[in-house]
Amino acid sequence: MEMIIVLIVVALLAFWVVRIYNQLVELKNRHENGFSQIEIQLKRRYDLIPNLVETAKAYMSHERETLEAVISARNDAVAGLAAAAGNPGDPQAIQALAGAEGVLGGAMSRFNVTMEAYPDLKASANMAQLSEELTSTENKVAFARQAFNDQVTEFNTYRSSFPPVIFAGMFGFASDAALLEFEDAKEIQAAPKVSF
Amino acid sequence: MNFFQAQSKARHNTRLLSLLFIGAVLSLVVLTNLLVLLFFVDSYPGATLAQRISDAPQDLWLYTSLGVIGLIAVASGFKYLALQGGGKAVAESLGGVLIHQNTADPTQRQLLNVVEEMAIAAGVPVPPVYLIRESSINAFAAGFGIHDAVIGINQGTIDLLNRHELQGVVAHEFSHILNGDMRINLRIIALLNGILILGIIGGALMRGSMFSRSRERGGLIALGLALLVIGYGGTFFGQLIKAAVSRQREYLADASAVQFTRSNQGIANALKKIRNHSAGSQLDSPQADENSHLFFGAIRSFSSMMATHPPLEARIKALDPQWQPSDSQQTTESHDQGAAMAANMSGFTGQTDRVSQHCGSANLPEAQRMLESAEPVLSHASHDTFEARAMVYAMLLSADESTRSEQLALINRMAEPGVPALIPKVYECIQKQSQRQKLLYLDQAMPTLKAMSRAQYQRFYDLIGQLIVADGSVDMLEWVIHRIITQELYAHFVGPFRNSGHIARPAKVRKEVTVVLSLLAATSSTDQAQRQQAFQAGIAIWGDNQRQLPIEYFDYQALNQALDKLRHLNAELKAQLLDACGAAVAADGLLRDNEFALVKGIATTLDCPMPPLEATA
Repeated sequence: MEMIIVLIVVALLAFWVVRIYNQLVELKNRHENGFSQIEIQLKRRYDLIPNLVETAKAYMSHERETLEAVISARNDAVAGLAAAAGNPGDPQAIQALAGAEGVLGGAMSRFNVTMEAYPDLKASANMAQLSEELTSTENKVAFARQAFNDQVTEFNTYRSSFPPVIFAGMFGFASDAALLEFEDAKEIQAAPKVSF
Repeated sequence: MNFFQAQSKARHNTRLLSLLFIGAVLSLVVLTNLLVLLFFVDSYPGATLAQRISDAPQDLWLYTSLGVIGLIAVASGFKYLALQGGGKAVAESLGGVLIHQNTADPTQRQLLNVVEEMAIAAGVPVPPVYLIRESSINAFAAGFGIHDAVIGINQGTIDLLNRHELQGVVAHEFSHILNGDMRINLRIIALLNGILILGIIGGALMRGSMFSRSRERGGLIALGLALLVIGYGGTFFGQLIKAAVSRQREYLADASAVQFTRSNQGIANALKKIRNHSAGSQLDSPQADENSHLFFGAIRSFSSMMATHPPLEARIKALDPQWQPSDSQQTTESHDQGAAMAANMSGFTGQTDRVSQHCGSANLPEAQRMLESAEPVLSHASHDTFEARAMVYAMLLSADESTRSEQLALINRMAEPGVPALIPKVYECIQKQSQRQKLLYLDQAMPTLKAMSRAQYQRFYDLIGQLIVADGSVDMLEWVIHRIITQELYAHFVGPFRNSGHIARPAKVRKEVTVVLSLLAATSSTDQAQRQQAFQAGIAIWGDNQRQLPIEYFDYQALNQALDKLRHLNAELKAQLLDACGAAVAADGLLRDNEFALVKGIATTLDCPMPPLEATA
């Protein structure tokens, strides 16, 4: 009757493997759903930026370059977001979005520095409200990004833990999903350069 | 039929199914034993069965039986484990895409509004909604209970149906949630999987032994074939049972949808649209098969025996008796008889003083009125993942200035960046709201809060706890908020609370019921005579003659202890307890906000829905 025992063990193994597969699918779908929250918040931010530039144009007509840089960086980021939203599991698309976001962040900070020279603009009610909304969407993006990264980490940890790692490749989960990190986060994490 | 009758019926059906299943397993054991005797016991040719039995090795039957039972147990157990993930896991395995509460898409926005209205009207937590990318018209509900339920909707449904029809479909799904259909169905799936495994192994055995050269080859093939027949045959009959159960539930859900929406046209027209749509209600996804009974319409076209859903024509006819199958292609806008049909149904009497009669039905007009008069700032906040937390924090801020500044310091220290800045604006709005309205915003925020990651939830939950105890005491509303959050978010992030329903005798919970009713009486009035009157009204419904306990403050620990036990009451006693609570708070003819809040907290803990009751009882 060893045969029956063997059969039970085989059945156990089969079900176990199926469970691993289901778990992988679930975790993957979960972080992809997490990405759509980032998408919502980023879109909101990208919608605000043209308004900001329109408002600024009236005051800083001599700073066309800065304004155009913001708009073009924003357009690149919109394209990056569309690509990443199509496939949040693709590390390259996520990297590209992070890159575009970095460029946009740079352009925005240059814009903010430039704005310092225009106290009238800074003081205008419209501008104050837009800046306030931008800041709050930035916080929301950060929060959504944190949730996404938590979920990605959960997926990656499970994927590379012992039994699942054997089957993950076979099931089409060969590589880790990418975390979405923006430039500012990298700067904070980078060790300060010390020179003597 | 109200919520509790449906629940006890569902439990009864589950027990019946389990018995059937045990019968099936036993006959499988006997059959397999016979097969082994026929093929493996070396007796002389032409031996009778009795001779073979006497020739068989002594322990043979034991091993065979253990083997079969073990296999079925392993297979069912695994499936059951896989289903433990609740509704979320089912939706995700079907490739569902979560629709976020702050979506910008207008059709998705409309769908979320319809679901939210219906959830608030039925007094159940607003379920997360998943979008299934299929162009056919269909929808499903999944989960173990009301706290981990999710709703899934096909893209085709929101593209092709108008708001009225969508409402009918959503109401149908809520009926599945409220009637406990999802739970029975999950059990059936697990059990069927157990029988199916025999068939799968039989198939494997046959294929394997084709290539073997051993002496037993012929026997192995025959055993494999026999197992194949038993397994697939068993599954076939299991499917028949499942389909028959499912068809009955579909009629019930259609009827409930009429009752919830007070309209028979919405759901009837939705069914007519399915009939005229080229893709109908069919799904491409192969994973959908084992969940076929959860859907609004049939996902495959089967002959009548195997069909999980009654024929569309029969369903439409039941909803709209004047309709003819030869009718014009388009949906009709004939006279709506929904209100009359709803009134005719048993259990729906419009006005009743028994709270339990309201559970399991829906008060849509009241819910719509509540949502329309909601404060826009707070409605917006409750639908944004980021702001929803700020809103809950603001709800817990104390009116006392020094405590409040302590709480704000806590928020500054523990919450994510950006949250403290939001608090003042939200606090200003929320402090003007009544307790009842605050609970409405909390309900609205639930699916939003479920979109957090587990780490974010942990942080949020820790901070909530600290804010509540910051003033050194727990007041009633704080307790209710904490209860609702714990019950719903815990069910989502960790796993639903177990309630076994094993307590069937009122005498076992005398002390606990007295505690609950005494607390309610103390909440309802400051006057001792009125408290006594409220307590007596409640205890009379419960059918006991206990003495009221002297209660001077909101003793949440005693309440928690009592509810931990009362959670395990069976459906009839839960209904009786809720009625007793209802009678206690209505003893003075008024339903105050704080009374409603406390009853809602109790009902949530007992896993009962709590539809919005009219302001005066």
